[in-house]
Amino acid sequence: MHTEAADHFFNPRNVGDAGEPSFVGRAASLSCGAHVRFSIQVDEAQRVSEARFRAAGCDVLVAAASVLTERVTGLTTAQAAAIGQAPAELSDKLGAAGSEKCVEMACNALLDAIREYSNAARDDWAGDEALICTCFFVSERTIEREIQARALTTVAEVTNACNAGGGCGSCHQLIQEILETNDLPR
Amino acid sequence: MIYLDNNATTRVAPEVLDAMKPYLGEFFGNPSSAHTLGREMKRAIEHSREQVASLIGATDPGEIVFTSCGSESDNWAIRGVLATRPSSKHIVTTLVEHEAVRNLCRLLENDGYEVTWLDVDRNGELDLDSLRDALRPDTALVSTMLANNETGVLFPIEDIGRIVRENSDAVFHVDGVQAVGKVPIGLKNTAVDLFALSGHKFHAPQGIGALYIRRGISLSPLIIGGAQEEGRRAGTSAVPNIVGLGAACRLALEDDDHARIEQLRNLLEDEILKRIPNTRLNGVADRSKRLPNTSNISFEYVDGQNILLHLDQAGISVSTGSACHSTTHESSPTLRAMNVPFTAAQGSIRFSLGRYNTEAEIETTLSVLPEIVAKLAAMSPYEQLR
Ligand code: FES
Repeated sequence: MHTEAADHFFNPRNVGDAGEPSFVGRAASLSCGAHVRFSIQVDEAQRVSEARFRAAGCDVLVAAASVLTERVTGLTTAQAAAIGQAPAELSDKLGAAGSEKCVEMACNALLDAIREYSNAARDDWAGDEALICTCFFVSERTIEREIQARALTTVAEVTNACNAGGGCGSCHQLIQEILETNDLPR
Repeated sequence: MIYLDNNATTRVAPEVLDAMKPYLGEFFGNPSSAHTLGREMKRAIEHSREQVASLIGATDPGEIVFTSCGSESDNWAIRGVLATRPSSKHIVTTLVEHEAVRNLCRLLENDGYEVTWLDVDRNGELDLDSLRDALRPDTALVSTMLANNETGVLFPIEDIGRIVRENSDAVFHVDGVQAVGKVPIGLKNTAVDLFALSGHKFHAPQGIGALYIRRGISLSPLIIGGAQEEGRRAGTSAVPNIVGLGAACRLALEDDDHARIEQLRNLLEDEILKRIPNTRLNGVADRSKRLPNTSNISFEYVDGQNILLHLDQAGISVSTGSACHSTTHESSPTLRAMNVPFTAAQGSIRFSLGRYNTEAEIETTLSVLPEIVAKLAAMSPYEQLR
């Protein structure tokens, strides 16, 4: 591990639980027994206002989780999710060669917490059009329009066209369902 | 540095180093040579052989053969016995053996051998009835350890030997690597046929071991070559190391420190279990059934490797049975066999003391450890701690 990572291990930042209301994500490994928990608070502008973690696992897991809490604070959930989607980059930064799985676990817990938030925000959404992708604020109508206008058939194509699905991934299933109902004969 | 990892390896004793020095200098001959220098080397080897024989209570020094390490001794014992008994294809051993025995027996399973793996209970102890039941007419070998490297739990090799003798024709091999130099051993009054030991576990250098071969037991050689060690183990004798091993045996026998070490171990163990919440001892509570220097303690819901690294930063060396960063990525087979709960196995730390530890060092450890564990417990995601 690099010096910065070692510093995060010996002096982990943001240990504990984010203030309520918070969204919690977890990841664990059966093979090595590690366990990590992320909790985040998200403000009205959909920015992570507080990120905290708890972990029982190796030094790399602790360091990765600690670094992640610092990096995602102040970012939008979509930006935070992008960091969580790039564990290889974080592994590199930490000098965690050989322990990529442990870095990935920390990233997965973060993504899990963001998905929790996205699902809750989607359910709470009171706008006229159904909200599908919380990360990028994309409605069902917009997605349908894109599918029809461009004859899209996969979630990846939808993400390319309008960003929906490009963050935490919690809306993939919903996008898939919209694709299926819009599967018009061409 | 406070070194509490003496089951991993030990520091070479000054007395041992002094004994070795001439053999790294002016006495450099080959013990197989007929000239004066060669004969002096030969004499030194035989002197060491006597010292090893007397530490483990062999009947005569001719029962001791020098090897390169404990693993070689174990491998030779097992393969050597099997080679002399080609029609017997059954082996009895335990689930908690050192890798040298466990991994070799796993390999032999692929080579047409049938292995009965004896289990241990929650205390790490063997059920002797299951040993009796496992023995068969075609059992070639029974291999058990004397002391478990992780927990220090002792197996009753006198009783095991008796059962093996009474119920089979099997050869009885004991992996004594972790016990020699820590508890008294008297092989001549037991039914132990083969006994492996390793120098670096008791203040000799790394790279020297020995195998005790009871008179009358025939063992095929593992290393083929010259006629060294009466043709039993080829290869030029590592005289400096052999002299070191002899000196370490003399030290262990004449200047044994077991009682003092045990007192320090007891202090450490009692105080950790008393002062730190969510701790549990791994291994039988009865201390007469464990090595006097070893304490394996679980700090439940926290990670053992994290404890290790924090202790290391404080200058204290220990080892852990937790999984990550161990080569296999699974928790210790010994703790699993003992059914130690997962969350406790993860947080297990082995403290193994030695002759150079002082009470002040134990007090320092006791003053640092609670804070480290409290800090990690505050970070733990397990709800049980909230
Ligand atoms: S809700 Fe996060 S990617 Fe769509």
